[in-house]
Amino acid sequence: MIGANKERVDVIDKVLGRPIFAGDTKRKGSLFAVVYRSPRPHAWIRHINVGLAVAQPGIVKIISATDIPGKNRFGAIKKDQPCLAENRVRYVGEPILVIVGETEDIARKATGFVKIDFEDIEPIHDPFMAEKSATLLHDSGNLLSHRKVIKGDVEKGFAQSDVIIDHSYSTTWLDHGFMETEAGIGYLDDAGRVVITSSTQNIHYKMKEISRVLGIPEDRVRVIQATTGGGFGGKLDVTVELFLALAVYYTKKPVLMRFSREESFLSNTKRHPLYIEYKTGAKKDGTIQAVKVNIIGDTGPYISYGETVCLRAAIHATGPYEIPNVHADSRMFYTNNPVCGAMRGFGVPQLAFAHESQMDEIARVINMDPLDIRMKNGLRKGSLTATSQVLNHSVGFIETLRKIEPFWRARKKNSQTSGFGIGCMFYGCGNTGISNPSRCHLRLTEEGKIAFHSGVCEIGQGSDTILLQILLEALKIDEKNVVLIRGDTDTSTDVGSTSASRQTYISGRAVYEAASSCRSYLKKSGFYHGRTLIDIFSEAHTEQNMIFDGYFDPPTSQLNIETSAGTPYATYAFATHMTEIEIDEKTGVCLVKKVYAAHDVGKAVNPRLVKGQVYGGVAMGIGLALMEEFVPGKSESLDNYYMPTSMDMPDIEVLIVEDEEPTGPFGAKGVGEPALIPQAASIMNAIHDAEGIRPFQLPCHIERLKKLIEDKKK
Amino acid sequence: MLPEFASVIPESKENALAYLSSLENAKIFAGGTDLLVKMRRGESCRHIVDITKIHDMKDVSEHDGLITIGAVSTHNEISVNSLINAQAPSLTRACGLVGSPAIRNMGTIGGNLVNASPAADSLAPLLIHDTMVVLESKNGVRKMKLEDFILAPYKTAIQPYELLTFIEIKGLPGYREGYKRVTKRATWAISRLSIAWAIQEKDGLYKDIKLAIGSCTPMPFRPRRIEESLKGLAKNEETIQAAVEEIIYEIKRISGIRPSFAYKIPVVKALLEEVLKG
Amino acid sequence: MKKIDFTLNGKPTLIEVEDNETLLQTLRERLDIKSIKEGCSIGECGACTVLIDNEPHYACLTLASKASGHDVKTVEFLGDAKLLHPLQEAFITYGAVQCGYCTPGMLLSAYSLLLKNQHPTDPDIKEAISGNLCRCTGYIQIVEAIRNAAGICKCNS
Repeated sequence: MIGANKERVDVIDKVLGRPIFAGDTKRKGSLFAVVYRSPRPHAWIRHINVGLAVAQPGIVKIISATDIPGKNRFGAIKKDQPCLAENRVRYVGEPILVIVGETEDIARKATGFVKIDFEDIEPIHDPFMAEKSATLLHDSGNLLSHRKVIKGDVEKGFAQSDVIIDHSYSTTWLDHGFMETEAGIGYLDDAGRVVITSSTQNIHYKMKEISRVLGIPEDRVRVIQATTGGGFGGKLDVTVELFLALAVYYTKKPVLMRFSREESFLSNTKRHPLYIEYKTGAKKDGTIQAVKVNIIGDTGPYISYGETVCLRAAIHATGPYEIPNVHADSRMFYTNNPVCGAMRGFGVPQLAFAHESQMDEIARVINMDPLDIRMKNGLRKGSLTATSQVLNHSVGFIETLRKIEPFWRARKKNSQTSGFGIGCMFYGCGNTGISNPSRCHLRLTEEGKIAFHSGVCEIGQGSDTILLQILLEALKIDEKNVVLIRGDTDTSTDVGSTSASRQTYISGRAVYEAASSCRSYLKKSGFYHGRTLIDIFSEAHTEQNMIFDGYFDPPTSQLNIETSAGTPYATYAFATHMTEIEIDEKTGVCLVKKVYAAHDVGKAVNPRLVKGQVYGGVAMGIGLALMEEFVPGKSESLDNYYMPTSMDMPDIEVLIVEDEEPTGPFGAKGVGEPALIPQAASIMNAIHDAEGIRPFQLPCHIERLKKLIEDKKK
Repeated sequence: MLPEFASVIPESKENALAYLSSLENAKIFAGGTDLLVKMRRGESCRHIVDITKIHDMKDVSEHDGLITIGAVSTHNEISVNSLINAQAPSLTRACGLVGSPAIRNMGTIGGNLVNASPAADSLAPLLIHDTMVVLESKNGVRKMKLEDFILAPYKTAIQPYELLTFIEIKGLPGYREGYKRVTKRATWAISRLSIAWAIQEKDGLYKDIKLAIGSCTPMPFRPRRIEESLKGLAKNEETIQAAVEEIIYEIKRISGIRPSFAYKIPVVKALLEEVLKG
Repeated sequence: MKKIDFTLNGKPTLIEVEDNETLLQTLRERLDIKSIKEGCSIGECGACTVLIDNEPHYACLTLASKASGHDVKTVEFLGDAKLLHPLQEAFITYGAVQCGYCTPGMLLSAYSLLLKNQHPTDPDIKEAISGNLCRCTGYIQIVEAIRNAAGICKCNS
């Protein structure tokens, strides 16, 4: 089962078009809820007049902040964000009212009858203004978070360096672009409990938020994950759930909610724009002596995952290299721009752009091959990271370089404007420096099956299938003996979010643990000698507990508040991408021709699913590198936000490295985010190889690339 | 949800024209790829006249070197039409690049013209083929040159009661012809720039040149004066450079200096040089 | 309101639709065919792809009345649980499905291609699905699946 290209558990339904996504659900007598959102970036709300709106035929209820029965604050990390704005709005799109109508049309039309008097406040446009401005977005000021990673003595390191390279890099907002926009349905069940089914990457977190905002006990809330059409980090925060819960609470009827693409673009969290000042010092022989990084991020007006991105950016700032002297300063500022949150990689794709460009710059100046310099400095077993963590096991980075090596050494430019670039990365799997356990359980049923109760949210990446494979292998049991019960807070325990590339590793290990105790029991009961599960059940249920718990919390440590020294992650994924491009100097079009992507995944539970993740990550990386640019106020929908099409894709060869993670299920760690992280970086290095120009801003779209080419000519 | 409207589906041109002159606030509907998007973004009308069942508005035929193309021909139909490919391959290519396969199945050349986006792919090829636009109404027929038909970005000379029924293009057999465009991703994107060309050379001299540049000026630009001046000139570096400089000068004169020109001018230069060199 | 008369997945279908109703609404809401998805409503994602006379169209920009007299196919036409179409089998075998949202539209675009071209090259395949966005797969395994299905499938109208 491990290493088998097992078919996805949901694939037959999906090719038949059968799965019910949240927006496909129907319930008799459903109402429809829409959100009235702020048209202003920063303003006091002086007066809300819904008189005309409420009077529209078919409008059932309009809910404002004053109607919130519990606490009007939610947030993935800290509860700072109002569910509905009270007296102030801080971004265009901030929710102010929930309007519930008999039909979608009625509810949407009613938004046109809402009249709100705003008094504008000076908007903070960017983090540099945030730092200096007297206008404070919150009482705590405009700085959300300042995290540092300090190791050794950077000034000494630079003093010892023969070569110093200092550049600034910047990236901008991106949208998750999941094909299924946010949607959900809420209703009261027969016991009067609030039930929400939504497109989501987590269920227990949302259940808890609903309980807080409605002021009702958690056991009066049930959250079910509908088949979810992609997440990429954009469905970790509450999207429709709180609005639906409020609508159901007041109307006592089923309520449906579905965001249009425009609404999704307006409301969904975005990738953080990061401004990165990066100084690297190295000796002539290529050993990096020191890295000093200053990161400034624009997190929008609320926290979401801003603190996490702030910290991850700092921790991963060095890249997958052992560097004796490190000083990374990462600051996240509040602005009145879109709320930024979790998006595949949490700041690390942006840092990879910087650290990989820097490596190539050093290599260029000392006349060293880009692969060789990475081999020289690469993390390996026994290395000390920037947080002074000793990497004891599962450090397959050098192996990923070796996998790429034959292609790299054999590369041949077939035109004057061809280029080859390497991009590398490392990425900690799991939440940073905090406990983030996963719990699941197995239950022997009366029908003679092993029921696997999983709270893991499958968002397309294949977690249901992977966990099943781990279970089947660990239990040495046939699939027909197992039934998967998933995605429902009523039938599962908290596994944590599908994010941070953690489900295969952490939930997978939890399943493994559950399976281990179940297996001992089955062994004792004679299952492996031919006794049936039904017999075992009928015998056992009079005496034994039929439930086998699995639990795993990766061994991390709290980080030193000044230096971040500690063990932020129990395991890291490593990867090297090599990209071949060809540039059309006339137009600035960069054609991506071929990618070799080598990933250390610990153990490939399902190689075909691993490849699927890498292919998808390469696509997103091409978007980040060359075409995706969310412009607040301008990017309204998919007609002016370009994501890669099939014709933008190169040939891709995936090379799997398996440096087993001892704490992972059968050695597995994660690949969801690693798949994307090094891709844009490798394209930027390829552009430099082709044209001798160095892009410092993403996306390096046709106009920017053309300008770089023209500037070089002058 | 689309705004409310009533639709009629005439099966003949006469019926369509009768509706157009009698129905209040009526819009013509063919592929829907422009109109329905506009409606989602706030536009509305009382009536829709769906002309896609008028079969003779789909015909493509030739007579005396003049090719008549029905306005309801889809981009896909045009892109696979062998007559058009033989005599106006730039149009074949342009229509084959519009949007995506589904958009090409739905969108029509008439719709492309009436929408008159400065970036519309069919416009530059139509310009080099001296297209005449046929407008019909209950009161009669009028024809006008394409360059007179398009007044401004998204604005044409069509009257509310008129139907664009056909376009007539002059075939250019024997020319070195093509269409090239620049987009921000490989496909399914608005043209950032486009060029259509049809060039005849003999013994190292330019015999006849037709060029049209799209997305640089309010409507695609045909540098007729420069085309004329190149006739009979030798195809060499100096001639090409001089012609390109003049064309750029004209573009700047028409549009003024726009921020996008920082990108577009060097690209247009390079593409024009490439096209003139052949 | 208009009465429309069309063939849906091989069956003659007669229903009444509003003048301003899109085919997407008709199929999803009147006829309860949820396999067709709404991704953007402006013809920029392909999630609502249907085949009209075997050619891909975006149902979000197609007025329902346009279907009258035509043959409309959704993914349900390709196969069912008892007998999957070779394309569906290939999508399974080659890992062409992740979240599944783009899958019905993708399959229809592929089916339309194979009706016209039994030996598509990879560029042919990429172009055929160039109007179907996918954010999960990077398209690679989708192209692989279609390439392999082409060999097996004897698709005719």
